[in-house]
Amino acid sequence: MAKQEKAIAAQSELEAAVSAGVEAIPRRRKSAWTEAIQDVVLRVAGVLALVFVWWILSLIFPATLVPRPMETFGEVAAIVTTGDFFYEMGATLRRVLVGFGIAMVVAIPLGIVMGTLRSLESFFEPPVILGLTMPGLIWAVLMIMFFGLTETSAYAAVAVTICPMLAISIWQGTKSVDKDLIDMSKAFHASPWSKVMDVIIPQLISHILAAIRYGLGLAWKVVVVVEMFGFSNGVGYQVVRGFNIFSMKAVLAWAITFLVVMIIIEFGFIGWLERVVTAWRPKIEAWRR
Amino acid sequence: MAYVRVENAVKYFPREDGSEMLVLDGVSFEAKEFGITCLLGPSGCGKSTLLNIITGLERLEQGRAEVVSNHRESGKEDPRLGYVFQDPRLLNWKRVEDNLIFALKGMGIPREVWDERVEKYLSLVGLIEFRKQYPLYLSGGMRQRVGLARGLVIEPEVLLMDEPYSKLDHLTARKLREDTLEICARLKQTALLVTHDVEEAAFMGDRIVIFSPRPAHIADIFDNPLPPLERDMDDSRFIQFKKKLLQSVMRLIKTEEV
Ligand SMILES: Nc1ncnc2c1ncn2[C@@H]1O[C@H](COP(=O)(O)OP(=O)(O)OP(=O)(O)O)[C@@H](O)[C@H]1O
Ligand SMILES: [Mg+2]
Repeated sequence: MAKQEKAIAAQSELEAAVSAGVEAIPRRRKSAWTEAIQDVVLRVAGVLALVFVWWILSLIFPATLVPRPMETFGEVAAIVTTGDFFYEMGATLRRVLVGFGIAMVVAIPLGIVMGTLRSLESFFEPPVILGLTMPGLIWAVLMIMFFGLTETSAYAAVAVTICPMLAISIWQGTKSVDKDLIDMSKAFHASPWSKVMDVIIPQLISHILAAIRYGLGLAWKVVVVVEMFGFSNGVGYQVVRGFNIFSMKAVLAWAITFLVVMIIIEFGFIGWLERVVTAWRPKIEAWRR
Repeated sequence: MAYVRVENAVKYFPREDGSEMLVLDGVSFEAKEFGITCLLGPSGCGKSTLLNIITGLERLEQGRAEVVSNHRESGKEDPRLGYVFQDPRLLNWKRVEDNLIFALKGMGIPREVWDERVEKYLSLVGLIEFRKQYPLYLSGGMRQRVGLARGLVIEPEVLLMDEPYSKLDHLTARKLREDTLEICARLKQTALLVTHDVEEAAFMGDRIVIFSPRPAHIADIFDNPLPPLERDMDDSRFIQFKKKLLQSVMRLIKTEEV
């Protein structure tokens, strides 16, 4: 009797385990929503942790050295509401984008040419490597001395600083282009234009995206330096002004607005761009934990 | 319509040490019009090289290899050739239909007929529902079908296929062979098919040209006694023909060893 009951209990346990196992499979795969929410929570927690450390520091040091986070955020709000922010940030953004655009227009053909033609590779390699080694600060000084305190010097400094980096990344990418696809395009008599646009550039997409990321990072740094040299607007100018009146709060507030804009561009715009241009690639992330 | 004539083709490749390696040693054959001619030979004997010569990617040292067509005066303009590769070689960032359009555009086919052509040839290979799909979302066999459709969509005088089934699993390859055979028969397509599989040659070829090991010459040419759609791998007539091919190939390998 007891034995029988045991057997039945064991049996139902087994069934429960089996059905649990069956159910466990869909349950183990989190829905896209849950994953997205979890992701956002983790990111917010990371930012809050930073603010917390800042707050601790502000308790230790005097407000002139480390202002309180809340007061600084108040300053940020003031900058944004008075409209200064859009004017200054607009000037800085324009310099970065124009310089960046010039650099792209030069670097993409240059990189492709270097990757495809051996003779031009040897010719362009030394100037490109030298250009890469030159610190952005020196480019900024050179360009301001050459063009004076004009918008042109800001555009040129940004372009010249990031162009070598972009060109190298595209050059290396071009060298790894799949030769079989080039042969295929020859077999179907593709025009040189179509070879570049349909066959080569799409294979460079991940290199170009990486280059845009690094390039933007460099561009921000250079443009701020240029603006510090005596421009009358832009985020760099505002930071220097904060420095001159020794207002740590102003310096930090401008730095924060700047960071926020950069993050929006980085995750919003570039993230979107990446999703659009790599839609053809199935997302394989299964190996990540 | 069009056929391929190869006369006394001689081809050398330079070796690393500067000496020359003879690859094709006087190859002559004629490919069958409106049918599939299989080039059957051991690995490295120069079959792909011969296809490259026909497409104009490589040059012959002696002799000639040409596509003869009554549409063109010979030598006046390039023949229109379709190519199917061993791996699909698709542009993975383009949708299936755009991969076909890439070929149509390259071959200078007028834009007005693109849509109609794409529809016709994707339907023929059974992939019309997938025209908007990206290649990496398709199975290996389906990608190879896209490659076949891309070779056909330009309505080539000759379709060149270089071991198009060798990277597929057995069953997928078998199905695709049957479908290729049927499509080519329906279109009356002149085609060259490179292979080193005797059974594949017996199944696909209206004519089978057997290459010797390098330096290659033509050892034998057989015409298939069975019409394309009556070849059954279990049928005794098919098996007999396959044996005949096999004997010829084995003889070559034996003389090689002696
Ligand atoms: N561009 C080249 N330069 C030098 N040697 C080459 C070149 N292309 C091919 N060869 C050599 O010529 C020979 C024939 O090559 P090919 O690719 O035509 O052989 P195949 O019959 O197609 O062989 P497989 O069945 O393995 O594809 C090989 O030994 C190869 O190494
Ligand atoms: Mg080959």
